[in-house]
Amino acid sequence: MSTAPDPVAAAAAAYTDQLASVWSDAPGLWGFLTTVNHKRIAARYILAVVALMFLAGMLALDMRLQLSQPNLNRMDPQLYNESFSLHGSTMLFLVSVPVMEAMAIWLVPLMLGQRNLAFPRLGAFSFWLYLGGVLMLWVPHELGITPDLGWFEYPPLSGPTYSPGHRADIWAQMITFTEVAALAASVNIVATILKMRPPGMTLARMPLFLWAMLITSLMTMVALPAVMLVTSMLIADRLVSTHFFVPAGGGDPVLFQHLFWFFGHPEVYIIFIPATGFVTAIVETFSRRSVFGHTALVLSVISIAVLAFGLWVHHMFAVGLPRLGNDFYTAASMAIAVPAGVQIFCWIATIWSGRPRFATPLLWVAGFIMTFVIGGLSGIMTASAPLDLQLTDTYFIVAHLHYVLIGGAIFPLLGAFCYWYPKATGRMMSERWGVIAFLLIVGGFNLGFFPMHVLGLEGMPRRVYTYGPEMGWGTLNLVATIGSTIAILGGLVFVANAFLSQWWGRPAGANPWGGATLEWAAPSPPPPHNFDHTPVVDSLTPMWTAGGTLNVMDGLGLEKREVLITSVIDAVPQYRQKSPEPSLWPLIAGLAVTMMFVGSIFTPWAIVWGAIPIAASLTMWFWPQRERRPSGPMRGRLR
Amino acid sequence: MRRGLAFLLLLGGCAGQQTPLAPGGEQAASLFTLFGLMMAVTSVFYVLVLGFLGWAAWRARGHWSRGAAPVVEPDDVGLSRSLVVWAALIIAGLFLLVGGSFVAERALASARAREALQVSVTGHQWWWRIQYRDPATGAVVETANELHLPVGRTARIELGAADVIHSFWVPNLSGKLDMIPGRANSVDITPRQLGWFRGQCAEFCGAQHAHMAFSVKVDTPAEFAAWLAAQARPAATPADAAAARGQRVVVGGQCAMCHVIRGTAAGGRAGPDLTHIGSRRTLAAGTLVNTRGGMQGWIAHPQAIKPGTMMPPVALDPADADAVSRYLESLK
Amino acid sequence: MLMCIVDVSLEARNEPAMISRAGSRWGLVLIALSLAGCGKEARTLTADLPQTPPHGRDDPRIPKYQNNAYQIAQGGRYFGWYGCGDCHAAGASGVLDLGDGRWRHGSSFDQVYRVIAHGHPGELAHYGDRIPTEQLWQVTAYVRNLPQVPTDKRRRQDHDAQGEPTGGTWSGAKR
Repeated sequence: MSTAPDPVAAAAAAYTDQLASVWSDAPGLWGFLTTVNHKRIAARYILAVVALMFLAGMLALDMRLQLSQPNLNRMDPQLYNESFSLHGSTMLFLVSVPVMEAMAIWLVPLMLGQRNLAFPRLGAFSFWLYLGGVLMLWVPHELGITPDLGWFEYPPLSGPTYSPGHRADIWAQMITFTEVAALAASVNIVATILKMRPPGMTLARMPLFLWAMLITSLMTMVALPAVMLVTSMLIADRLVSTHFFVPAGGGDPVLFQHLFWFFGHPEVYIIFIPATGFVTAIVETFSRRSVFGHTALVLSVISIAVLAFGLWVHHMFAVGLPRLGNDFYTAASMAIAVPAGVQIFCWIATIWSGRPRFATPLLWVAGFIMTFVIGGLSGIMTASAPLDLQLTDTYFIVAHLHYVLIGGAIFPLLGAFCYWYPKATGRMMSERWGVIAFLLIVGGFNLGFFPMHVLGLEGMPRRVYTYGPEMGWGTLNLVATIGSTIAILGGLVFVANAFLSQWWGRPAGANPWGGATLEWAAPSPPPPHNFDHTPVVDSLTPMWTAGGTLNVMDGLGLEKREVLITSVIDAVPQYRQKSPEPSLWPLIAGLAVTMMFVGSIFTPWAIVWGAIPIAASLTMWFWPQRERRPSGPMRGRLR
Repeated sequence: MRRGLAFLLLLGGCAGQQTPLAPGGEQAASLFTLFGLMMAVTSVFYVLVLGFLGWAAWRARGHWSRGAAPVVEPDDVGLSRSLVVWAALIIAGLFLLVGGSFVAERALASARAREALQVSVTGHQWWWRIQYRDPATGAVVETANELHLPVGRTARIELGAADVIHSFWVPNLSGKLDMIPGRANSVDITPRQLGWFRGQCAEFCGAQHAHMAFSVKVDTPAEFAAWLAAQARPAATPADAAAARGQRVVVGGQCAMCHVIRGTAAGGRAGPDLTHIGSRRTLAAGTLVNTRGGMQGWIAHPQAIKPGTMMPPVALDPADADAVSRYLESLK
Repeated sequence: MLMCIVDVSLEARNEPAMISRAGSRWGLVLIALSLAGCGKEARTLTADLPQTPPHGRDDPRIPKYQNNAYQIAQGGRYFGWYGCGDCHAAGASGVLDLGDGRWRHGSSFDQVYRVIAHGHPGELAHYGDRIPTEQLWQVTAYVRNLPQVPTDKRRRQDHDAQGEPTGGTWSGAKR
């Protein structure tokens, strides 16, 4: 008995194969260098981030070992200062923000039922510049010229007199790399979210993660120019002897602090807000109900973003600025507790009123709530300008910042990783090892960092490479070291689980968790083109309201790469847009920009001469290629 | 509450000399009270959040069934009302904390005594230059790394920085304030408790930021006046041959290029004033106890004690080294 | 390039358990492609202190000072603290101008060192007795580097150092 070939299935398979071949990359190295596939680019970011987290974690372990007892000689002060500078700069500039961008680059087109980002080559370019930033910091480290003045190198310490050589320039220029990369990624994400939503996904029906990424990207575009500006001013002071930050020349060191923290405070919310998007998605799926308070959550994210730009002075309460201003920034800094508290309520309320299943992603959300809220509350304490005079620049702040960054961003990230891993790889991560990693990381982190609150209250300042036995800080420092070591061990277990599950994990279907959003409609792992047809959306939870069959449209081209452009508010289809083919020009432009950035540390003429290769590569990148051919009427057919 | 919070000190030994949890002055006391309010309010909220989460997890036991369809946009009237109550609760809590903060801020600013003692402290890499100004005569008495204050009287400490940004912090007495080149900051301190306290630089200032500490002694007014008068006097003349030899080495050799000993020809201003070095508790900005051996070790091998310090190693033969330490010890 | 390898291993000696320095193994590959003179940036705090003056223009200790940005900067600080900047200020002229590139007593490291330590005119001379040897090395390196420092850079550095003591005077922190 033979089974007759099913003509419908065969036609569908041919359709898929045709799309996949149009959207796939060339094989081998050429494909690697020219790809504009958002999933491949995101994967590179993630691999780089994991490697850097490992390196930064090793630096942290080194420092913790040095501090575990009084007067240890494992590290001399130069090495210790380099370590905390490298650790902080790596984690804040090269890991935290890029990993959120990477998750967005991977997830945004999938959650929108789209085939690629709005500007695919810009996405590739942003990775190459990010890689340039990574190399800008770590290659000099291997050569022995590590920046050693912290992750926010205040002048005059970082000025031409007190910081000889090029260490501070390396730090400053690394920032320029990563900020240009972040701006490129942000522009891409904003354009994609606003103009490439599936038909029917009005702004009111847009999942919270996309709101979070939209707002984060807009914040990035406003905040990051400030840090590029201030680090360029620092390089100018050092290289061409401007007087921005020297009082005798008419400048002011406090100007650096204002400009830096005008970026620095929004930066931490740029790191946190995507995490709120992860948490909402996970809470919704694992509570088996649409998230409670969607509108409140969206408004909370928007108000956090707006407030975030009015708070930076709370990093400068000890500078001696006018007291009335301090009072204003105290009130504004505390006000962030309102939207943050609303978010926490909405998430817990969803779990409370749903039928939650505590798989690893939801465990990470629980760990996030338990940990981040401690960080938020210690933040309320430091938000008070007078009390901050006792707490700032001590280990209380070290505890606070790690609680909010690790608890508030990394824990949701790890949960998101567990959650979307099946979609990305087609395999499930091991639940058992996931729980073990969770317990080690959350338990170890709290054991390691909670004592630091007490250490700060016992007078231990930040950034000290050792302390005397008479201070009485030895016991708590030892506990902190033990806890941190446990957490790092848990991190290794997590990464091993992620790595090994690629081969040994249970195969996952398209929607192993029963998620509500569109990415779960694509196969696991998604083919190069993500979706065969454009989904049409009628609610916030399309996979749940579809009842097994998702409405789709077709009409996008089969012989060439096309994406659908829709209107900003109501997502009405407007036209088909040619999506760029793979190209080497983003890499070449990235190399040209790299050469200019690196050269401008040594001579200002690098800006002039370096502009020429950049102009040439950008010209080639944007050289018009497509013939002006009418694309024809849209043909929408519901299937 | 004071006892309750002070238990935190027990967690790490009873050093107690450099902590905001054992206030010895009015400013630190205001901040300690504010801290207590903060702990109370934030603890309440943490318990509420954790309680809600725990309740949610508890409710979940046995509820999940794999096959059940997810619920889309159910009627959440009860939860919506609770959200409003929760937000109102947060706002009320914040008003309380912002109010407490304002009160503390006013308390810090309130010490405007006309009879404030005028001290100026300048941060150098990595030590503290301390100058007392007599408003009547305009005379300046200089010392280093050890600050004496009279109890019960406000000291207005003018903060300056000679090179990079430092920060002046004596947690038992008051909050910190940065010393920024080009900026005229000042902090008011009104000590209420006699005894020794410790301060430390609280803004990263380079290689030896970790070893930039200073001692603070709060004296009775009479003791303070006596101490200040003694500090104003020029250096003691050497009492014996060893000290005299030490003085010759110090004044005629490398020390005098950077250090001043008033009453001798040693007039360098780059390093700490040594006129009364023998009266100080510690050396090298709180790094070493001031003993003869410590002094010799510091002079001969400063890089071994404080790597990166600007104090150069001074090679002296053993007899000279002994003489120098005896001389400096005698400068009380 | 050889200098870089030597300096990296010097750094490594101070860091027995620095795990991430294991990257130095593959980093040696990068060193082969590196810029020249990364020894310029080395900064060893527990210095191998030269307790003796340079013994000739080929003293192997000289490049560690003359080619090192940290040592030159240290020399600059002591230059101010020992009061050298009072006479040899940025705008000085004639023999007092150390930046003009004219070396009347020889330009090699040991020659300049000898002038500062023993041949410096004036009543406050004999710096060889009054300044520790290590600091003399650093000041010599600074002075020999001065002709390469543009005037605006020197002025910028002087602005930074306005609050520093100079010799026997300190005019107060700039507030």
